[in-house]
Amino acid sequence: MLSKHARLWLGLIAVLGLMSMASSCSKKPEGEAEGPAGTEYASKGDEGTIAGKISYNGTAPTPAKIDTSADANCAKKSPDLAGEEWVVKDGKVANTFVYIKEGTLADGKKITDLSFKAATAPAVLDQNGCHYKPHVLGVMVNQPISITNSDPTTHNVHFRPTKNPDWNQSQPNGAPALSHKLSVSEVLVPVKCDQHPWMRSFIGVMKHPFFAVSAEDGSFTISGVPPGKYTVVAWHEGAGSGTEKTMEVTVPAKGSATADFSFGATAELRGKPSSMPVVSAVEFPMMHK
Amino acid sequence: MSKGVHRFALVVAGATFILILAGAKVTSHDAGLATYDWPLSNGQVFPEMVGNLYYEHGHRLIAATVGFLTIVLAVYVQIRERRTWVKRLAWAALGMVIAQGLLGGLTVKLNLPLAVSSAHATLAQLFFLTTVSLAVFTSPSWISRSANLSEEGAGISIRTLGVVSLALILTQLVLGATLRHSTTWDHFLPTGLLVAHIVGAVIVSAGLTATIFAVMRRHKDEKFLTRPALVISGLLIIQLLLGLTAYITRRASPYGSQPLNPMISVTVAHVACGALVFAATIVLTLRAFRVLRAEESRQVGVLAPA
Repeated sequence: MLSKHARLWLGLIAVLGLMSMASSCSKKPEGEAEGPAGTEYASKGDEGTIAGKISYNGTAPTPAKIDTSADANCAKKSPDLAGEEWVVKDGKVANTFVYIKEGTLADGKKITDLSFKAATAPAVLDQNGCHYKPHVLGVMVNQPISITNSDPTTHNVHFRPTKNPDWNQSQPNGAPALSHKLSVSEVLVPVKCDQHPWMRSFIGVMKHPFFAVSAEDGSFTISGVPPGKYTVVAWHEGAGSGTEKTMEVTVPAKGSATADFSFGATAELRGKPSSMPVVSAVEFPMMHK
Repeated sequence: MSKGVHRFALVVAGATFILILAGAKVTSHDAGLATYDWPLSNGQVFPEMVGNLYYEHGHRLIAATVGFLTIVLAVYVQIRERRTWVKRLAWAALGMVIAQGLLGGLTVKLNLPLAVSSAHATLAQLFFLTTVSLAVFTSPSWISRSANLSEEGAGISIRTLGVVSLALILTQLVLGATLRHSTTWDHFLPTGLLVAHIVGAVIVSAGLTATIFAVMRRHKDEKFLTRPALVISGLLIIQLLLGLTAYITRRASPYGSQPLNPMISVTVAHVACGALVFAATIVLTLRAFRVLRAEESRQVGVLAPA
């Protein structure tokens, strides 16, 4: 029915199409569940702290007003809801996840070679006023996370990790708390509500307990840190997969190390750089904050 | 010929287009998993339609309506149509819409895996094409025409250009569907797929332009062919502009707190216009097979007059 010419073109189109599709496919890496590995850390009583403040350089972006009209229950309970990407007060930044990425204890052991008992008390993530409280949460691997719904509407809790399995549950008003555990360390697991797309939270999952989330005044404290030299990372959300700042600190025995981080109105603020440099010429000024 | 069958086929094609619009809204609002279960929504047939559930469940209700209409069309065609191949096509349409429903359920049950979501979006377009084809085959203009136009010595035949254009559009649709479902509004689109889709737009435009040019040059007085060709040319220009606008708005969406207009409206319009380009091209191609006399007239095959 079709000429040889047409069949040749159709075959070429099919091959090119399949090659384009294949180039975009990537298998989502799945980490194996992490149980206790290495020597369990035993406290020697000489632990110290890492403390600091997260600040913002320049003029902080004004939080965007959230349009909650899609659900009257949300509009009634939270008429003035605003975006939480940057919560900045007097130049200090809240909701920054700070953690020890790696390092060596004073006795020569690497912190990544040690195991720590998982916290048994559940960390609570509440859906209240059609937004998550807290906005950023830190948990240990296999620590229970209790998700509650304090709103007069149905929420849909969707964990969207890259290393842990996907998890998606609906939770009507009045339903009992849901419980979930993340078994692989991951920085950070985005949580969203598929029912209310402005709702977002982030959960940092650590093998050890040395992490903190900065408060409204930008301060954070990581307690119980064994003396040693560590790489400390401050993560803040941004377009794409967030922004990280890194610092080396030395924690003395029974002492404190200071780690102050600053974020600001630079290209880094937007997370990963544009993935389309070849078409940067068509970007319009109005797209930049 | 039954005018009633033709009119009902038009209704089904129109309803399918509305369903494609509804499905595109689900994706642009990131509402695909607004409920975790299927076929019920949060355990109910009629849940409270708030938030993103309005789009997701609304899409399911429209899909159920289209499914029902397709059943009616398939039975109607069996009763009133004499041509066996048209009857078979109607059954094929019913099979496609059932498969499409099952794919939709599978995407929810498996938490929107890329391959299944892209297949769901692609099959939607192919089903739309099938309903449009049924409308063409049952139309009075189709039935009254015969192969009375020659293309001897004219270069690449319009039939070939039409088929190649359809293949190019289908490839571009698959790329577009994969691109849309590869990530959500709060992340940047993957570069490789984006570049492939843009290159695909150039290639599709070239193919359609060659087809339209051939029609206007060789058969400028034949409205049976020139009308769909002109429709394609208008839609193509709109689609390219929508594609550019969709890219610009989509680039900005990760900086926002929620999916908003104009990104939602423009991306939905881009999907819808793509469906219309596909539909207009199948109309032109089918009509080309109907009226253009090949050197080997036996190539007309199943598209011969009833």
